[in-house]
Amino acid sequence: MSDRRLMRSLRTAFGVRRSPLRRAAGWLDENLGGGSRLLREELRHVFPDSWAFFLGEIALYCFILLVVTGIFLGLFFHASQAPVVYHGSYQPLVGVPMSDAYSSVLDLSFNVRAGLLVRQVHHWAALVFVAALMIHLLRMFFTGAYRRPRRINWVIGLSLLMLVGFNGLLGYSLPDDLLSGAGLRIAYSITESIPFLGPTLASLMFGGQFPASGIIARIYPVHIFLLPAGIAGLLGLHMGMLWLQRHTEFPGPGRDDRTIVGTPMVPAYALRTSGYLMLVAGVLTAFGGLLQINPVWLYGPYTPWDATTSAQPDWYMGWLEGAVRMFPGWDIQIGGFLLPAVFWPAVILPGLIFTPLFLWPWLDGMALRDGGFHNVLTLPSERPGRTAIGAGFVTFLTVLLVAGGDDVLASAFGLSLPVLLRTLQVLFFVAPPIVALLTYVVFRRRAQRWLATGR
Amino acid sequence: MEVEDGGAVSDRETGTHGGSPPGWPAAIGLLVTVVGAVGFVVAFVTNASTAWLGGSLAAALLGLGVALAYWGRDLAGDEVISGPYPAPHDDVPGAAALGGDLEQSAHVITRRRFLSRFLIAGVGVFAVSQAVILGALGPRPGRSLFVTAWRPGSRLVTFDGEPVTRDVLAAGGILVAFPEGHTDAADSQIALFHFIGGELKPQPGRETWSPEGFVAYSRICTHVGCTVAQYMDEVQMLACPCHQSTFDILDGARPLAGPARRPLPQLPLAIDPQGYLVAQSDFTEPVGPGFWDAG
Repeated sequence: MSDRRLMRSLRTAFGVRRSPLRRAAGWLDENLGGGSRLLREELRHVFPDSWAFFLGEIALYCFILLVVTGIFLGLFFHASQAPVVYHGSYQPLVGVPMSDAYSSVLDLSFNVRAGLLVRQVHHWAALVFVAALMIHLLRMFFTGAYRRPRRINWVIGLSLLMLVGFNGLLGYSLPDDLLSGAGLRIAYSITESIPFLGPTLASLMFGGQFPASGIIARIYPVHIFLLPAGIAGLLGLHMGMLWLQRHTEFPGPGRDDRTIVGTPMVPAYALRTSGYLMLVAGVLTAFGGLLQINPVWLYGPYTPWDATTSAQPDWYMGWLEGAVRMFPGWDIQIGGFLLPAVFWPAVILPGLIFTPLFLWPWLDGMALRDGGFHNVLTLPSERPGRTAIGAGFVTFLTVLLVAGGDDVLASAFGLSLPVLLRTLQVLFFVAPPIVALLTYVVFRRRAQRWLATGR
Repeated sequence: MEVEDGGAVSDRETGTHGGSPPGWPAAIGLLVTVVGAVGFVVAFVTNASTAWLGGSLAAALLGLGVALAYWGRDLAGDEVISGPYPAPHDDVPGAAALGGDLEQSAHVITRRRFLSRFLIAGVGVFAVSQAVILGALGPRPGRSLFVTAWRPGSRLVTFDGEPVTRDVLAAGGILVAFPEGHTDAADSQIALFHFIGGELKPQPGRETWSPEGFVAYSRICTHVGCTVAQYMDEVQMLACPCHQSTFDILDGARPLAGPARRPLPQLPLAIDPQGYLVAQSDFTEPVGPGFWDAG
């Protein structure tokens, strides 16, 4: 467009005093063709109104915050294990030999303005991300949102949970502090425990025998590119599918499997969810500013000959840590071969946990002989059996999580560690069925009362 | 696709929603945002503490969040709309299933039966062939998991490379040692103890491994490989801080509690004529956690 024509059209536009928004929309109308008509319809996309739909949004906004803070951190982090001697501003470690990676994290924490804030927000966002995903998953489970036509999205969501948890573990490993190195050592040993292939797999993953000197450089692109790209891709699929199928909705007047009731995306929902984004960012920033997390300078650099007591992984790995602590040392010798005991809690157990989770929508459909499409949610008391299974499962994971901190608990409450461990081993078998049974009885009764009185 | 049908259920959903709600909560939120934003700039420029930086930035974000969410919530009450869920194909008369369409497209390809099967096989072979790239990721472990840097006659040295003589370690003490020239060899680190009261229980076949009461064990836990760095001298046990396995130093580093099953490997020691502690040989079993061929 020539300058003269541009000026003329601008003058015309100003002459009729159309609002800037209207002009921008008009420009889209002229340039998107049929697309603008579709866009217009999508602006009225219906979002049901319930607190429950906020859980997934928290997860999404944590991801956004992780990307933003992660880019900042990437500007200062050195993914290198080249040996250096620290001469920075944190006095207790001056003169200590360490890796370039650890030294750059110290500089980031002490010398880069707002560096520690961003690092702590990043860490908190990761912790809350996994928590939000898990609570979101539980909400899906306890209200039957996984049923057809949302089985695929259930699978995508679970895959997201796995990728996010794994990427969190990698992020925990990057600073090359004492705890992160111990975590890598354990990951190496768990890989080694896989029959036949284990030692080769571990060597391929780490690029050699532990402590492989290039492992930080290897983890880095996976943590900041490969897995985030996978997570973003799956999130896109997850939300694209959500967009096409629309949200589920809780039962209520005017709502059924064919009709969705809620607020339009523009303006109400868009405004509100932007507010939620800011609230999530605000809360995580407050955490990052006021609550210390992962003070790596206190742990010191990783060396293969140091260790620290009360070593804890990030909370979302606690269940795995607990399983590894609780499982007895049942090494199996077969001929000249060894199957280390840790193979069962660290490799088989996660498979045993995730496989039924992935299959749940199909198992549930088969058990109820219900393969139909559902858009209206079922409440926990409508399905006491499902609620009981879910409660038992949560109890099971909770026992594992508690076991992951057994040493900390024992010293905090003055308990005997072996007694505590044995108690947890018993609870591992006993607690989930008891909780499931109690849940069933309570919710069954509620369902009967509801049927009888309508309340 | 029609999305809306006119917003018929508004009042039932919102209950009593008379008049415009007050605007001041959103205004206060925005005020907090402005104050927080200015505060953040001041904190940043003055290089204030993380708490000030985070607190002011959080206030700004939370203020904005409260304002937007409050406003949006309020609008949501004003306008409740409903619309149809997208109907599955079998609910729509005359609509073809995705499967039908795809099958028709696929038929164009599958009618060349040989060629289409060859295509699948060829792509499969190609995909599998690319797996060789994985082999470049790292070396095969070979014998590396079975050997450490200890050789017959290797002198024990400290972190700083100082050789360990029989006079360095008093009875009841502990010392971390490495083979001379390999103070960076993670798999070779040992914990050296000295007992002179005959407390040490001799292990069958290892009677000569602990001369003058010096005994050495691998410091790598046989559970999942953490450093067995906790020494509990009143009970003469070594403990792993990761998963709380404990080992009886006096009895061949036998596991007493926790998930570890195998004892810590013992290094056969000797004392040479100059009084230096040396290794008789490498460990006689793989150190560290178990793996398939270690049986």
